[in-house]
This record gives sequence, structure tokens and C-alpha cells, in this order.
Amino acid sequence: MKKIFFVIFSVVATSAFSQSITALQYSMGFGTGDLGDFVGAPSFRGFTIDYRKLVQPNIGVGFDIGWNVFYEAKSYDTYTSGNLSYSGKQWRYNNQFPLLFAVDYYLKPGEQINPFAGLGIGTMYSLRNTDMGQYTLEEDAWNFALRPEVGVLIEANPGLSFTVTGKYYYGFEAGDLPAQSYFALNVGFVFTK
Amino acid sequence: MNIKNKLTIALATLSIFLLGCYPQGPEFTEDLDIVLTYFKDDYDFSAKNTYARPDRIVKITGNLQEGDDPVYIPDGTAALILAQIDKNMENLGWDKVDVSDNPDLLLTPASWETTTILYYYDYWYWWYGGYYPGWGYPAYATSYSTGTLLMSLIDPTVVGGNGNIVLQWTGALNGILTGYYDASRVNKGIDQAFAQSPYLKIN
Repeated sequence: MKKIFFVIFSVVATSAFSQSITALQYSMGFGTGDLGDFVGAPSFRGFTIDYRKLVQPNIGVGFDIGWNVFYEAKSYDTYTSGNLSYSGKQWRYNNQFPLLFAVDYYLKPGEQINPFAGLGIGTMYSLRNTDMGQYTLEEDAWNFALRPEVGVLIEANPGLSFTVTGKYYYGFEAGDLPAQSYFALNVGFVFTK
Repeated sequence: MNIKNKLTIALATLSIFLLGCYPQGPEFTEDLDIVLTYFKDDYDFSAKNTYARPDRIVKITGNLQEGDDPVYIPDGTAALILAQIDKNMENLGWDKVDVSDNPDLLLTPASWETTTILYYYDYWYWWYGGYYPGWGYPAYATSYSTGTLLMSLIDPTVVGGNGNIVLQWTGALNGILTGYYDASRVNKGIDQAFAQSPYLKIN
């Protein structure tokens, strides 16, 4: 964890000396695996901030931070655990906060449409709340996380581009929770300096 | 406009949009109603068929061991609750008898109420308070009360290892109290407690 922060800090600290891109993206999430079982509804609340320093014209290194909240209101239902049964409505929240070191490879640097692929590695904080009645069950985990990504940069004018990306986050089992994973579809602006 | 300003505006817009739409939970008081049941799985309910119950519902408050008198919920309300319990027990095949008729099980209803008081402090007082001397630090209080109805089935012939009674079945309804008796909420909860306890069915 400390190493990840150190790498991110180093990249930010040296960014003034080379070209960099910063992307602000609105993020939609689609839970898979355990997360998808817990909240079946897609998430329309999320964002990512991606920063890359271009160490080569076609290679960017940097970091991603983001947030997606998955939410679903479950209808009145009965749940059983051993000799105990409980009924009521449930409100389920699953917050995901990825914090990743990232590397991207750009296929057509300098062109108006510039596809790219990348990989992220780091951690993802997962915070799950199951609300029922006046009570909440809170579970959390700091997952070791991997994140492959594909996307495209579309230059609108010098210094400003649009971007569309698809990211798949996979956080390995940790803390109170099993593996947490979701697919994110992001759209946003990219500022180039 | 330089890139810093563009970034700031974009980030602020995104933040406002996202924070403004954080998902909300329950909308109505009854959304918070829950029903919980628990049973001893080594107890054979099917070998029993009679139960007895008191005609009142005690409120769990005070301390009987220190000499406090028991407090009961109003008789009219208790009658409605007990009738709904009896209806469910009858549907499951149980016969109600008097406590003097050696019932297989005792049904003991009880209730309790808790009140939670919430304080809101005006965190902007540091800003305007100095201009209006004489005001106390403003705090606003609001409260809500939670009610629980507890139903237990006890076999009077079974005594636990510590000499205490053993609850063979427990059903609990919990929710936010309103200023009046809401029969539909209570009846729905009682019905649900028995519906999710199929092992009580003996007919």
C-alpha cells in the first residue's frame, strides 16, 4: 500500500516536466460475482479521476481514483439463517473506492482518435451496508485489486478530448467480504497539458 | 480559461451531481417494520396441541424484582393484538385453554418501547454567534419511539440448565411507533411471524 502511494506521489511530483493527461469521467457500474448477487441493479452513481504522465508518446503511467455506489431497495421478503428468520424490506449499498497505479498503451498517439488499453493494480476499498428496520449490517474490506481497461480518446481541440472507457475491477477476497468485482463504463473529459 | 480552471469547474460539477443523488432509503414509517422469529429445533411442536395465554400484555419497564408494579398496554389495544395471535394459533391447529387446564405451552406476550432523542447542533454558530451575543449555543432536539411486541411459547415442563425457563419459540415485531394504534401494521406483523414459522403447524 505504501509503495503504491509512493509511486503515485512520484508520478504527480514529476508531472510538471512532461506531457500529462487528466481524465474526469462519469462512471456507470455493473456488478458481477458476489457484488452482482448482492445488488442486481446497475450503478449510475460514480466517477473516476485518471491521471497519466506520458513517459513515451504511446505509454502513460499514473493513477486512478474513483467511486461507484451500487444501491438496491429490496421488496419485503423473508430471510432465514439456521433457526432464525427475519422479514422486512432491505436497502443495500455497496460502495467501491478503487485506488490504483495504472499504465496505458496508446495505439495512435497524436491522432484525433486514439484507442488505448491499460492495466491497473492497487487496492479497492469496499464498504457494504445492509439496512433493515432501524439496523444496519456493515461489512468492509481493503481488496487487492486488478483492473484491465480499454478505451478511446477523441480529441475535440488542442488540450481537450473526450473519452469512453470500459474498466473491469476485480478485488480479491479480503476483510469481511468475498471477491468484489464490477464492470464500469465511463465517459468524460480529458485535459492534456 | 486555463486547464486548472477547467479542471476545477468540471470536478465541482461532477461532485455536485453525484452528491445530490446519493441513494436514499426508506420513505414511510412502515418500511422499517421488521419481524423476527427463532425456535428451538430440538423441540417437537407436533406432539403438542394446547396453549394458554394471559388476557393482558405486559410492558417491559421498571423492575419487578425491586417491587415495581407491572404495567400493561391499554386493554382495548391488547384485545386486538391477542385476538390476532389467537386467530393465527387456531389456523395452525392449536386449541386455547385456560392456564389451569394444564396447557402444553404458555404464550406470553410482552411489549417494550424505547425513545431515541436526537440533537442537532447548529455548526454555523461559530460564524454568526459572535454578532448576536446573548444567544446560547443552539441545539434542536427531535425524537422517535420504537415499539417491540414479543411473543414467546414456553413449555412449562422444560427447565433450562440454569433453572430458567426455555423459550421454544419467539416472535418479535419491531417498528417505529406512530401516535395511534395502526392495526394493519400490527396484524401484518403478527401474521408474518406465524407464516414464517411453519414448524408450529400441527393440523
